[in-house]
Amino acid sequence: MAQIFPKAVNPVTRLLVLGLPMMFGATGVGLAAFYRSSYATGVDEIVPQPVAFSHAHHVGQLGIHCLYCHTSVEESHFANIPPTKTCMNCHQEIWTGADLLAPVRASYRADTPIVWNRVHNVPHYAYFNHSIHVAKGVGCYSCHGPVDDMNLTWQSKTLLMEWCINCHRNPQENLRPTSEVFNLRWQPGATADGSPQVWVRADLPNYGKNPDGTDTTEAAELLGKPRPDNQPELGKVLKELYHVRDAVTLIGCSNCHR
Amino acid sequence: MKPDTTDAQAPAAPTLWRGLEEYMDSPAFRAAMRDEFPEDAAEWTDPVTRRNFLTVMGASLALAGAGCSPRPAPMRQIVPYTRQPEQIVPGIPLFFATANVVAGYAVGLLLRSHEGRPVKVEGNPDHPSSLGGTSAIDQASVLDLYDPDRSQQPTRWGEGTGYETVLGAVRGVLYEPNGQPRKAVRLRVLTGAVTSPTLADQVGGLLTAFPEARWCQYEACGQDNAREGARRAFGRELTAVYDFAKADVVLSLDADFLGTGPGHVRYCRDFAGRRKVRQNVPAGSTEFVTPDRMNRLYAVEAMPTVTGSSADHRLALPASQVENFARALAARLGVGGAPVAGTLPPEAQKWLDPLAKDIQGKKGAAVVVAGEDQPPSLHALAHAINAAIGAVGQTVRLVPSVEERPAGKVIDLKTLVGEMNAGAVDALLILGGTNPGYACPADLKFAAAVKKVPFRFHLGLYQDETAALCEWHLNEAHYLEAWGDARGHDGTPALQQPLIAPLYAGRSAAEFLADLTNAPTAREGREVVKAYWKKWYAGAGQSREFEQFWQESVRLGVIADPGRTSAQQAGLAGNWAEGAAAVPSAPSGDNYEINFRADSNVFDGRYANNGWLQELPHAVTKISWDNAAFVGMETAKRLDIDTFFRWTAGERGRAEVRVVELEYKGNKVKAPLWALPGHPEGVVTVHLGYGRERAGRVGNAKDEPNADGKQTRGFNAYVLRTSDAPAFAGGLAVRKTGGEYFLACLQGNWVMTQIDPISGRVIHRDPVRRGTVGEYRANPSFPKIPPTAAGETDAITHNIPGPAGKGEAASGTQYREGSTYGPTHDHSHGDHGHGDEHGGHDSRLLPLTMYHPNNNLYPDARRKARRWGMAIDLSACTGCNACMVACQSENNTPVVGKREVTRGHDMYWLRIDRYYDGPPGAPDGNRTYFQPVPCQQCEKAPCEVVCPVAATVHSADGLNDMVYNRCVGTRYCSNNCPYKVRRFNFFTFQDWYTASFKLGRNPDVTVRSRGVMEKCTYCVQRIRFAEIAAERQHREIADGEVRTACQSACPAGAIEFGDLQDPAGKVGRWKAEPTNYGLLAELNTMPRTTYLANLRNPNPDLK
Repeated sequence: MAQIFPKAVNPVTRLLVLGLPMMFGATGVGLAAFYRSSYATGVDEIVPQPVAFSHAHHVGQLGIHCLYCHTSVEESHFANIPPTKTCMNCHQEIWTGADLLAPVRASYRADTPIVWNRVHNVPHYAYFNHSIHVAKGVGCYSCHGPVDDMNLTWQSKTLLMEWCINCHRNPQENLRPTSEVFNLRWQPGATADGSPQVWVRADLPNYGKNPDGTDTTEAAELLGKPRPDNQPELGKVLKELYHVRDAVTLIGCSNCHR
Repeated sequence: MKPDTTDAQAPAAPTLWRGLEEYMDSPAFRAAMRDEFPEDAAEWTDPVTRRNFLTVMGASLALAGAGCSPRPAPMRQIVPYTRQPEQIVPGIPLFFATANVVAGYAVGLLLRSHEGRPVKVEGNPDHPSSLGGTSAIDQASVLDLYDPDRSQQPTRWGEGTGYETVLGAVRGVLYEPNGQPRKAVRLRVLTGAVTSPTLADQVGGLLTAFPEARWCQYEACGQDNAREGARRAFGRELTAVYDFAKADVVLSLDADFLGTGPGHVRYCRDFAGRRKVRQNVPAGSTEFVTPDRMNRLYAVEAMPTVTGSSADHRLALPASQVENFARALAARLGVGGAPVAGTLPPEAQKWLDPLAKDIQGKKGAAVVVAGEDQPPSLHALAHAINAAIGAVGQTVRLVPSVEERPAGKVIDLKTLVGEMNAGAVDALLILGGTNPGYACPADLKFAAAVKKVPFRFHLGLYQDETAALCEWHLNEAHYLEAWGDARGHDGTPALQQPLIAPLYAGRSAAEFLADLTNAPTAREGREVVKAYWKKWYAGAGQSREFEQFWQESVRLGVIADPGRTSAQQAGLAGNWAEGAAAVPSAPSGDNYEINFRADSNVFDGRYANNGWLQELPHAVTKISWDNAAFVGMETAKRLDIDTFFRWTAGERGRAEVRVVELEYKGNKVKAPLWALPGHPEGVVTVHLGYGRERAGRVGNAKDEPNADGKQTRGFNAYVLRTSDAPAFAGGLAVRKTGGEYFLACLQGNWVMTQIDPISGRVIHRDPVRRGTVGEYRANPSFPKIPPTAAGETDAITHNIPGPAGKGEAASGTQYREGSTYGPTHDHSHGDHGHGDEHGGHDSRLLPLTMYHPNNNLYPDARRKARRWGMAIDLSACTGCNACMVACQSENNTPVVGKREVTRGHDMYWLRIDRYYDGPPGAPDGNRTYFQPVPCQQCEKAPCEVVCPVAATVHSADGLNDMVYNRCVGTRYCSNNCPYKVRRFNFFTFQDWYTASFKLGRNPDVTVRSRGVMEKCTYCVQRIRFAEIAAERQHREIADGEVRTACQSACPAGAIEFGDLQDPAGKVGRWKAEPTNYGLLAELNTMPRTTYLANLRNPNPDLK
């Protein structure tokens, strides 16, 4: 009986011994890489909007505070998308005829909401809560990136579960003093004029006040003193100060899924 | 005793059983116990039609498509408000006070609203009819709001029309074109029982404007007998309000005061306050009692109810004989002028002396309550007894009649039908709440009579049987869509405020009447109600601004009205016993007695289209989706009829029953027959409210014909009911038909009984530990006595996690410093079945711990972990089912339908097991016990170790988390769960498409789809909500800040929940009680949910 495979195939076989596992491996790595790619996660993708609202202009240039529009970020799971009324607070006085704002005026007049495209799509089975992150010193920047630099908003982090879990395991890497939570340019270390950053009342839990109105021991200890000037040290202090729970508690499933 | 023998000591007979098969230990029952799931549970047994083939294929293709999308999170849209309403913080629910009205009587509620959508009902602690509790019907009322089958537009002969047209038609009949009322119009207004001051005022205005007008209030299951009884007893219309908190001895004469009727939610709270026995009770506590102050309840009743099931002594008597019993008792108590009693059966005779002695020994602290289904003469007799034993003014308070019935203008339905037949009615306005087209005694022939009225108008929530008889129909606003008011059981007015704008532009009765009478100022609902109360307020002589009073009243939902709620002085009328007929003879032979009852779920039929209430198993019978003809065990034998569960073919909840034909006064109906332990002999009980022909998709069974072959849910018992005997009567004939029918009955689902694989014996786990107060006094720890094995240790009953470090490994339980549990634990009893030192239980148990002990994780004492736990007091639980519906509402649990229930697919996360103790035919009635079983949140959870994808794992605070998005549906966890508390979505049970249902879901809980296991997680969404609120303020969660849905719904306050780590916490104190025990704790699961044993207080003289 003639041989099925001629001798010339031998090198191919040898190659396959090594190559097949590598191919499987590469497929796995490829899929994992794809899963994390900006295409699949939507990172850095500029999302079109019915009104070309620019955070860069309103926040970066005009210096409007996050809370002016995202009113419920400190008390609710939902940061709130501002109602048309919030836009009109200013825009019934300025840029009243701008074409760019025509949909806003139309919405206000007809009492029909502006339908925005969601930029940060967390799956419906994940119950993310903004308020607790803000209260524990996670800055807007940590998840949303340089919003004050964005014309149309894009998503700056993957929002994959591994990304959430990474921080929940090591929250100290992303903690900042609560007075700086809404500051999109904050860095640990010195202030712009070179003087050290110092603890202020807004950095302390309940403003450093006991329920009876006296100062807490933390307030007595910290107020006016310089903050640690590097993230590892500062994070450790803040984790303790803000009663951030341990990793086992923070990665409990029912924190986000129920 | 040895720790690993679970059945070494057979429990002392009698044992607990759920169904007769289990009691008789039938081979079919044993076979069924071998398997966790019914054999073909996952089979699709519907016939394969083209349509459902396409459905399945379509779904598969859609799924395939979804799976291929490379983008894990598809782009979604986000829609803000245009103008954000004041006070709304998106994501934070608001609560509004309102009230649910059943048959005229209000229960004050707080409705939770998410961004303007009412989602969940809670009780209003400020309303005296609620005190924070609710009933199953109150809980389910929110589903009616979103019912897609509600009437959605005004109609004329069923054709859509406009509101103005309808209004114009009614006005055209009643008013001259110049707006003057046509004085001669013989107008009849037909409503349900009305306690609403505003509505009564408006109808009163109509009655004045039209001198010939009359008002008929018809309730199929109302308070007519009680009202007439009070009138006979005291000579005027008064309503009796009971104070069970003061009552040491309670005698219920066929009264289900814990389960139905005005004020039952409140009564349940008061009654339970005298049942929850504790070692140390703070002075003045209304919540707990010491054993010597525990009350005693005697129940004499026909159909077993939750009241009778909770009683210390229950006597099964035909309803007709209850009055006989009461007369004999009155004679013993020396009540003057009481009619003479007839003969009583020996078991009833035996009761009289001990009962009379007990009542007489508690003068002023005893009370006799007569049931609504009993005739006025018995109510009068009960009042006379109460007067004689000094109860009036103590345990009975008489308040002015709660129902609004202007003298001389009110007629009953019989008169109305007579007038209609005589052509003496020109216009009939039927306003919501009553459905005489369906719920009318058969002999009145309402449907035929009403057609003789030239002008007929109907205002109602549904296009129901009555709407079909009327030319004009106007869709009514649901109570959550409208302003209104109504009084509670004691006359306290509650205000109703709308939670949402009417979904279908419906009108409330008050709004319609305001438009109809062309009220000059107030036309809008709020203005109408406000105008009434403004008038009232001016007369009440208060000093504050009305506006301030109004705002406060709306916020509280309650108005203080001492004029209507304070006790009236009333002496017994001399002629109270007049008109008392001789008691009919007891049923015998083939002369059966028929007994009509309002259904505990669908009431008189008005909730027939509510899926939550239809599927809810009836408290005592555990039958869902149907009514049946109930008979006693002997009667079933005499009729040669058996009920059996079809355990084969894998079906557990499927009960195959025989169909009988009931004939009463020439009217016939076919009904499935069910033998019920504790039911009196010679009596057939039928429940009203089923067999609706125009109820809607849920209430009408399109593919599931009833025993008669009609496409309705259950059979219509009104067919047999006559106006002269609305509650019971002799002369019923019962005939076998040879037909068969199947009932969905949950007593066969989720049985915890197991068969020992080696010995083959059925292991009786003794799930409900029970005893008498006497036994408790002798040994408060009696529930901890064997047969429970080694699991009954401190560690298990108190849920202190295993080894606590510091070299203590595997040696025992570590108590926290200053723990409430350690010091209060009493070692003197020596009956614990284990060593007498802490940690002295078998050390072999401890290495089984799967988890790191929590207290090691937090070196810093300030940040100690929370440890959630629950305790359920079985002495207080009446089995009323409010918790089951509350859980369903809070957790978006689907309704599965009758066929699925028969296949063991019901989705109740919290079930209430009903057990019987003692032989089914025992003369004193076998005892009944209820046990709510949610997930026990085992610290050593058997479900977790078997999950291949870690979809169920423990959280740091001790919850047994269920991660739906990770679950792949292997069902191993459920197989391994000894408590059988996990529920699997075999099919897509959830209605994903009906738009209105989407509004009603709780947005904080995932809506599960097919192929996912689900279960109770102690309402983890509420825990996390409170936790985040507390953590934001850097404080501890206060005790009682987190209340689970079942806990807050419970009218008896039988459920306590909280952090076990809190030394002052309530739940810890409950668990420190000696009666605390863990269900199946001998399996070493260390359940976080524990039970306080059921205590009864029997009269030692009554054996």
